[in-house]
Amino acid sequence: MGSRGLLGVLAGVLLLMGCHRPASMSIAESGKTRLVYWTAPNPDELALARELVAEWMAANPDVEVVVQPIPAGQSSEEVLLAAVAAGTTPDLCSNIWPGIVEDFVEAGALVPLDQFPDFDSLLDARIPETVRASFRSRDGHFYQLPWKTNPVMMFYNVQLLREAGLEQPPRTYGEYLEAARRIVADTDGDGLLDRWMGYRDIRPIWWQRYFDYYAFYIAASGGRTLFDRQGNLAIDTMASNRVFAFFARLYAMGAFPKAVWTSGGSRFIQEQLATDFTGPWHLIWLEKNAPPDLTYDVAPIPVPDDHEGPVYTYGDYKNIVIFSTTQHPEVAWRLARFLVSRKADRRLLERTRQIPVRRGLLDDPYFAPVFERYPILRHFAAQAAYTRSVDSVPDLKEILDALAQEFEAAAVYGVRSPAEATRRALRRIQMILDWNA
Amino acid sequence: MPERVTKNRRWRVRLREAQQGYVLVAPYLLHLSVFFGYPLLFAFVLMFHRWDIVTPMEFVGLKNFWRLMRDDLFFRALLNTGIFLTIHIPLQIVVALFFAELLNRPLKGRGFFRAAYFMPVVVSGVVITILFQQLFAFDTGLINRMLQALGGEPVPWLVSPALAMPSIAIMATWKNVGLYIVLFLAGLQHIPRHLYEAAELDGANAWQRWWHVTLPMLNPTMVTVVVLSTIGGFSLFIEPYILTGGGPLNATLSAVLYIYNQAFYFNHMGYAAALGFCFAIVIFLVVLLQRRFVETDTWS
Repeated sequence: MGSRGLLGVLAGVLLLMGCHRPASMSIAESGKTRLVYWTAPNPDELALARELVAEWMAANPDVEVVVQPIPAGQSSEEVLLAAVAAGTTPDLCSNIWPGIVEDFVEAGALVPLDQFPDFDSLLDARIPETVRASFRSRDGHFYQLPWKTNPVMMFYNVQLLREAGLEQPPRTYGEYLEAARRIVADTDGDGLLDRWMGYRDIRPIWWQRYFDYYAFYIAASGGRTLFDRQGNLAIDTMASNRVFAFFARLYAMGAFPKAVWTSGGSRFIQEQLATDFTGPWHLIWLEKNAPPDLTYDVAPIPVPDDHEGPVYTYGDYKNIVIFSTTQHPEVAWRLARFLVSRKADRRLLERTRQIPVRRGLLDDPYFAPVFERYPILRHFAAQAAYTRSVDSVPDLKEILDALAQEFEAAAVYGVRSPAEATRRALRRIQMILDWNA
Repeated sequence: MPERVTKNRRWRVRLREAQQGYVLVAPYLLHLSVFFGYPLLFAFVLMFHRWDIVTPMEFVGLKNFWRLMRDDLFFRALLNTGIFLTIHIPLQIVVALFFAELLNRPLKGRGFFRAAYFMPVVVSGVVITILFQQLFAFDTGLINRMLQALGGEPVPWLVSPALAMPSIAIMATWKNVGLYIVLFLAGLQHIPRHLYEAAELDGANAWQRWWHVTLPMLNPTMVTVVVLSTIGGFSLFIEPYILTGGGPLNATLSAVLYIYNQAFYFNHMGYAAALGFCFAIVIFLVVLLQRRFVETDTWS
């Protein structure tokens, strides 16, 4: 949430209270059940939601669904928080970040989905047993239906790498650093670097770390998150140190600029960056904005040189929840079920290039035409099986903020050793946990 | 009997007057209780609770204070605020006094200059901060461009941890100095002329007159300026919030910004209330010390 701020929350609460109208109501005249469905505000997802809902309403003429983008705010989480506080939540929402679910559960704002008889079978179709626990709340119930996951991967400029003598994208830290040595340059001879290996926002904003520290930590640790299944802090300190050290090298050698670029457009499409760490939502943007001669591809994020096994990464999950303000939980559940149907998943893939959480996506012939049309999506679909989300723990935002602070100190400014940065982050996280115990 | 009637009448008049008084002070009392009394009471209750706006409040005893004692960032924020005050207050006093002296002289266009120096005080802090964001920008900022045009090197005003807080102090001084110029100007105009005449007769030169007459006579104004700019400096928020977000490396994280982040970014209302309470005590102690050391009896 970039999050952020008093004005946002207050304005949100006031706005939502001012516009208050029961989220679901029966329309006496038509006798229809009315649902309000909030979706992500970006145009592609909004159009998809409207399309799917129109189709569902045609098959369910007794229900009227109002599709609305999540009201404008600094972040979706902030707006949803304001809505929970004001009691003006919609019936269901499909843009829920798992990190905030636990807060909503504690507030009694969500309907447990495992009360519906077909929940288990639906969940089985979407996620393997091994990651099931990460979606279960601390009270043992499931309040979220996994909808989509967007694995953070490495986009790379094929031509730039080729010019540097690299036919394959770098797979390890060593290869990435070597590629950086060959690619970083002052191309116009003005004495300033103007081509870099990559760029990351250096401000200590907690969610920015999904695309560097957190994704790289998950990869370096072989798929571990910050907490174990019992909810105990279990950071792999070795992996954390290696990630801090890797980025510290990159910043120290000038492979990543120490700058905050808020204007000037995408440096990746201007061919000033050889790589970019982001998710599949970026594909549709590239299709619309990249020059036709830009050749890019996608690969897993680099891992330590001695890494063995599959490369995991951060999966930016967005899930569906039903809010307890609904008067029609069963009807809302029917709609939620439709939103994760094969047909809806395929439409999500096609229209937004985002990856539905579904087992066997690449093997299912129903989805094959989409992958044939957009072959680059295969990388993301394959990676989706090796993603980790965030832990379902309270105060996750502040925990990630503690890591972001240390990333800035150890990696960007190099004023702290990687081990010291990990130690300090652990100490602060432990303090937050002890306080919240 | 007539005496009793008179007493009764007086009592009724007094009652009516008292009622009128209560009616007249009612808006103030209402304002005080809604915007000061209630929040203060609520903050006091919050200090002993955990509350994230959406879940019910939970009593945690002294846990918020326990965390505060272990919170490095809060102490860092206090230190940063101290650094800011150390630069900002002396700078503000020197600059304000200098311009007040100038504007106290028979100067052409004096009225214009008095208004011009006061102008930044009435302009929104956000607007000024955004303006300085453009001026201080490393690559494209006007100041660095001028420095480069003069053959110098660009200065990392806001991106260097060592320079970021002094840069903010310079900006805050520019914004607030107008108010203190007015205060010093009022102080200067209240110094009796005969003191200068007596000093002149005693052979004091201009510097001696300023040092031995002006400065001591400005002491009450000085106390006001120091106390006001200390309290204003302690509430440093808009500038780091907009300019730097508290960075780089938390070098500009002020105490108020940290309290704000805890309350409205992480939704730790109870903890933020505890931080606010401790911070209020710090301000109280500092102001108390200032009064003790700066204030002297001018007229004795």
